Amino acid sequence: MIQVKNLYKEYCVAQKGKGLGGTVKALFKNEKKIIKAVNGLDFHVGPGEIVGFIGPNGSGKSTTIKMMTGILTPTSGEVLIDGRDITKHRKEVVCDIGVVFGQRTQLNWDLRLEESFELLRHIYRIDKKEYNETLAVMDSILGIQELLNKPVRQMSLGQRVKGDLTAAMLHSPKVLFLDEPTIGLDVGSKFALRKFIKEINAIRGTTVILTTHDLGDIQELCERLIIINNGDMMEDGNLSEIVERIAPYRTLVVEYYDSAVPEHPKAEIISASDNIVRYKFMKSEMTAAALISDLSAEKPIKDVGIEEAGIDDIIKIAYTMKTTVGN
Amino acid sequence: MKKLGSSIAHYFGVTMCNIKMALLTIVEYPSNILGWLISNPIQFILGFATIKFVVQQFGEINGWNYGQLAFLYGISVISHALSMIFFVQGWFMGFYVIEGDFDRFLTRPLSVLYQFFFTNINVFGLTDLIPGILVFVYGCIQTGFSFTVSNVVGIIVMLIGATLIRGGIYILLGSTSFWTKSANDFGQFTQEIFDKTTMYPISMYPEAMQLILTFVIPIGWVSFYPASDLLGIEHAFSTGGMEVWVTLAVGIVTMLIAGLIFKIGMRRYESAGN
Repeated sequence: MIQVKNLYKEYCVAQKGKGLGGTVKALFKNEKKIIKAVNGLDFHVGPGEIVGFIGPNGSGKSTTIKMMTGILTPTSGEVLIDGRDITKHRKEVVCDIGVVFGQRTQLNWDLRLEESFELLRHIYRIDKKEYNETLAVMDSILGIQELLNKPVRQMSLGQRVKGDLTAAMLHSPKVLFLDEPTIGLDVGSKFALRKFIKEINAIRGTTVILTTHDLGDIQELCERLIIINNGDMMEDGNLSEIVERIAPYRTLVVEYYDSAVPEHPKAEIISASDNIVRYKFMKSEMTAAALISDLSAEKPIKDVGIEEAGIDDIIKIAYTMKTTVGN
Repeated sequence: MKKLGSSIAHYFGVTMCNIKMALLTIVEYPSNILGWLISNPIQFILGFATIKFVVQQFGEINGWNYGQLAFLYGISVISHALSMIFFVQGWFMGFYVIEGDFDRFLTRPLSVLYQFFFTNINVFGLTDLIPGILVFVYGCIQTGFSFTVSNVVGIIVMLIGATLIRGGIYILLGSTSFWTKSANDFGQFTQEIFDKTTMYPISMYPEAMQLILTFVIPIGWVSFYPASDLLGIEHAFSTGGMEVWVTLAVGIVTMLIAGLIFKIGMRRYESAGN
């Protein structure tokens, strides 16, 4: 459905010296610095996938999304949506995609929501029957019907995002791009948004590309995760496989009756306080049961618990990892 | 051919919808229209009063009498008003470049330039038409201008051409933002230059200036040459009665060049960071 091939984006930034002197100097001698925002990305997204696209601020993920949606022209490389290059055939290809940017709206601020939809109906040449069908589906998922007569400026952020999601789905796109859609939303609206993504994916088979800083979104929605940092691909794969690979450990939490704590050759103590000790051990080296029985052989155990490495650990590790490919 | 027809129908449908939305927005904020209705006409009526004062002092400007000057002034304000309705957004192009406001147009299946101008079609520009038409009609009466078929066609053709020249120049100036990465508001600047060069006969300027206004920045064709021809006044670059058509041709060429420069600039568009 989406093919990203050897995608690069470089920005040229004029270098200015400090203060007035630097500004004057820049007038005569223009020193330019090239910033590589995206560094040769290659990946493929199949129809019906929900892909979480994550990376810290300034990692190049927004730049990548903007190249995938035809907003930015790549320095080199290409993005194919359903086999067609979005840069070369923008007007045709954008009919297959829907785009929602969390911090921006494509709705007309001054008018009732329905007026914005009516304009989109003309822009995408959607016939009345299809329009009503889509609206009925959106109403069943998001309850959009009751918002149609409300001016957009009077809407809460949650309502506005519902409006924007519906606006992006009116022309029944094959791919939906959501750039930080949950930013600033309350719990209820976040829940509605996740439900929306799951349902349009199930009902319409829409492919979804989602960027977010909310780990809950990823855990709830995405089977596949793409992590980028400094314009490079850090990870691309199944969420649980990535967890397995980057963080192949578990933590065993043991509570003893006193503070004399036994050690174990295959487990590292990462913290100990109030008779509670945390042992970090490799899943490949031993099972939790073996560790518990070894420890209980030395001291009586009051209570145990097991913690899996979470997605936030993964992201922390991935963000601090050095580039593995390229450099 | 069929594809072209369907494309025109598509753009026409969207345009009608945009106009409807513009009118609905005015209904939402009725006090705005009152302000425009008062301030815009006053601006041009005062401008015309200045001309009247000058003419009364000196009898005429460069061989143009009072009625002819009114004709020139009026038709210039009319094409200004038309350019305000369709192309005023060009003045603010820099802000769109810096703030990443082209994003939403780029994700839609229509020309970006079309959406840029027509999504925010400026119905308020109509208020500029009123003083323009008033002064123009006054000029027609004073000069005894006859509304024959060829004259009416001539006026329509020159107004289309003049509006395109103005719009093209707004686009060219606005497009510089793609390279400078700064949001300059060219409005005031453009308006000053157009006022001084389209509302008075450019024959009063030095020859070098006239050459520039004829061949480099073709503002002379916005009103001076076609109006001279319509009024039967001699001028330096006579094309034997084809002036209004030259204006149209210059308008189309200016617009095509502007569209090309905009397209090249668009490749440098960087959106805006979050």
